[in-house]
Amino acid sequence: MQQPGRAAEIKAIGIGKSFGSFRALDDLTLDIGRGEFLTLLGPSGSGKTTFLMILAGFVQPTDGRLYSDGVDITERPAEQRAAGMVFQGYALFPHMSVEANIAFPLKVRKKSSAEIKRRVGEMIERVGLKGHEKKLPSQLSGGQQQRVALARALVFEPGVLLLDEPFSALDKGLRGQMQAEMKRLHQETGTTFVFVTHDQSEALALSSRVAIFNHGKLLQVGKPDEVYDRPANRFVAEFLGEINMLPLKGVRNADNGAIGLCEDRTVSLRGNAGAVGSNAILAIRPEYMSIAAEAAAGENGIAATATASTYLGAATRLDLTTRQGAKVTVSVPNEVAASALSKGNSVWLTWPAEKGFLLPDGGQ
Amino acid sequence: MPTYRPGPVSLILAALVALFLLLPLLAVIPVSLTPSRMLAMPSGELSLRHYRALIEDPRWINSILLSIRIGVVSSAFSTVLALCFSLGVWMFQPRFTAVLVGFVLLPMVVPPVVSAITLYFLLTSISGVSSFFGYDTWLGVAMAHAVMTVPFATVLILVSLSQLDRRIDLAARGLGATVWERATRIIMPNIKFGIVTAALLSFVLSWEEIGVTLFITSVNAITLPRLMWMGLRDNIDPAIAALSVILIIITVLVLAVRSLVGRLRGAH
Amino acid sequence: MKAYLSDRMGAALLMAPLLLFLGAAYAWPFLGVVNWSFTLPEPGLGQYGALATDPLVQSVFIRTLRIAAIVTLLSVTAAYAITVVWVRGTPMQRVVAEFCILVPFWISVLTRAFGWVALLSNRGLINTWLQAIGFISEPLTLVRNEFGVIVGMTHFLIPFAVFPLASSMRSLDDRVLLAARGLGSSRMRTFWSVFVPMTRSGIIGSALIVFVFSLGFFVTPAILGGGRSVMIAELIYLRIFQSPDWGLGAAISVVLVLFVGALMALLFRYVRPKQMI
Repeated sequence: MQQPGRAAEIKAIGIGKSFGSFRALDDLTLDIGRGEFLTLLGPSGSGKTTFLMILAGFVQPTDGRLYSDGVDITERPAEQRAAGMVFQGYALFPHMSVEANIAFPLKVRKKSSAEIKRRVGEMIERVGLKGHEKKLPSQLSGGQQQRVALARALVFEPGVLLLDEPFSALDKGLRGQMQAEMKRLHQETGTTFVFVTHDQSEALALSSRVAIFNHGKLLQVGKPDEVYDRPANRFVAEFLGEINMLPLKGVRNADNGAIGLCEDRTVSLRGNAGAVGSNAILAIRPEYMSIAAEAAAGENGIAATATASTYLGAATRLDLTTRQGAKVTVSVPNEVAASALSKGNSVWLTWPAEKGFLLPDGGQ
Repeated sequence: MPTYRPGPVSLILAALVALFLLLPLLAVIPVSLTPSRMLAMPSGELSLRHYRALIEDPRWINSILLSIRIGVVSSAFSTVLALCFSLGVWMFQPRFTAVLVGFVLLPMVVPPVVSAITLYFLLTSISGVSSFFGYDTWLGVAMAHAVMTVPFATVLILVSLSQLDRRIDLAARGLGATVWERATRIIMPNIKFGIVTAALLSFVLSWEEIGVTLFITSVNAITLPRLMWMGLRDNIDPAIAALSVILIIITVLVLAVRSLVGRLRGAH
Repeated sequence: MKAYLSDRMGAALLMAPLLLFLGAAYAWPFLGVVNWSFTLPEPGLGQYGALATDPLVQSVFIRTLRIAAIVTLLSVTAAYAITVVWVRGTPMQRVVAEFCILVPFWISVLTRAFGWVALLSNRGLINTWLQAIGFISEPLTLVRNEFGVIVGMTHFLIPFAVFPLASSMRSLDDRVLLAARGLGSSRMRTFWSVFVPMTRSGIIGSALIVFVFSLGFFVTPAILGGGRSVMIAELIYLRIFQSPDWGLGAAISVVLVLFVGALMALLFRYVRPKQMI
């Protein structure tokens, strides 16, 4: 995080943080690649913000070491790390104009006034704040304040930009716009971005990798489609989106993956049976399931009865119950839902083998 | 906006209390206009001789100038110390903060007469060493006043700091600012109202201070309240009435301006 | 490279000046005063023994407690009456009430004591008028006695009693009062059975502040008591400057601090500091 203009590579080894007897973060080991956009995702109190504060240097870890480009920075205070940071609520300096806010990190670095003027001007242009230079933060809209915060954090070309729930105060429409903007800034600057959120769709949409936290533990790190389609455990599977879970018996390895017995029908899927035991959970995202009158031999399928439907506009969400009482939800085209409901009796739920995955039975 | 308003009984009682509060302030006005050399109600003829005495008698002028000098020095000293201390508390939140703040507030909580005997001990001890900085010297009085006013300045500055968003300080740190830059460029501009208020309050408290001043001055460092005290104790001097009228008018004007400014600000 | 301070260094550098100043200019001389009480005129507990037996000292203590209690009762009651209007009155009533509270508050204790002298003395406003209308022939003794002291102290302390009361009245929920009226409770009844109990913490805070203040009061009793109604603080002054007995003055101070400290401890136990401001 020290050479300006160059994205930093960060290595956290065995990081832990206790507040009294409360363990906020436990044994976290994580590599953050140069120029990557990593999202720290988890519910509140999961340890994601604590880790961000440790990265920024505002919080000292109780255990573990932190390296930036191979240099141990564990004990280095925040002001000497100078990671760019965007706070929840932005934390703009209320007594300074937009211009002065953005110039601040350059001023404390004793840059010449000509250079400050040039770089602040460029940054204002880049985030689209032209014409607002002399305004105070209180005279700006939420989205504009957000841009000032981004500009101020990026203007001194930090090796890493840390973002703490930056969109939590924005309404939905503005949020999408700002997300696109941030992706663009990431590409343009090439800086390493570390982004904290509790919104899974935001995490999946923005990041090159997602790290999922719960109860102070890092549960899984991976590309968005990896963690979405192949979650390491039940918490990750459920946190990233709606998921159907069916009990599976007699799980064993077979060609190209595993097979098991789902309510008297053999189903095949990707995954390693050895990791879960003979009784496991078969998990499938609702959007990968479809409704059919009949499941062909060898096709994955299960019989169920539709119990309720919710009209969502583009599609209909259908709640079903299998013969053995498992609850399943699917998202299907509106006319399919109508016909499934009107029959009032059994339909078949089918899904491609590669979309189902195994989770250990019970607990995590 | 409260919807539950006081009834007629409440209003009458409040009016009686208001009258009680204003009565002694109004009473000094006729006394200040008496032609008599002693405390009396003017009967018929009015005179401005006691107002003239304030200007013509060098004792009054000297003590006013001395009070201003002591007030400025002690207020500057106590505001700077209180500001540094409060910044330390707010920026670093060290351990034992509650105990340290409690210690700083002691001169405000301890009965003034005990503070007075304490400062009497201090200044008489210093007098043994230095003749221009101890008992009955203006510097000694300024220091004693700083002791008495510094808790008030600290409370005011801590209160305005408590209303400041801590994240702006974190942001400044994260952007690479030193402690000095954070304090002077980020924090102080946002609490300047609190700092100015602290300095003004310290000055006013020093300007009015009498309880401690009585213990630590005798013939040289005669502040204005000390001079008024002498005039009140021995032979009541109507010049005090004239001075009181002037002080009351100043107070009323300052409060009126402040409330007007407050109202204008509130309107924006 | 810029010079960055560690947190500990920064805190120490910023907080040390004031702590050192008060340590040297307040804590150290206070210990000196405590030392006086044990060593003057001779080492030992003699002065504390004298405190316990000297009838003069005891009568001053009792008078101080009595005056403080009366003044507390009077000023909290009066403050309550005017605070109700300041907090709950119409905008116009509020401005007037605020003016009547803040103007005396900002005027020096000497001016205010002098105002009472001008009103109450033998040739003051009240006696002059009463004689002019022929109601009395000889002036009434209204000052240089306990009556004058109580009047002057009550006047001084009302604004201080107002602030804790005001904060407790401001935090009061209007809907509860409206509900009480809506349920058919009379104005008087609502006031006594809902309004007053709900401002209890403000009343306790205000009473304790006034009581503690009155115990160490010096200027007003000295001027309006005229040496006839001596309170503790004035006794300390007299023992230091008029009949010098520094040891006794110091011992009285120590007892006063301990007594006030115990009262403050009570205050913080029953009223959270936040509720007082």
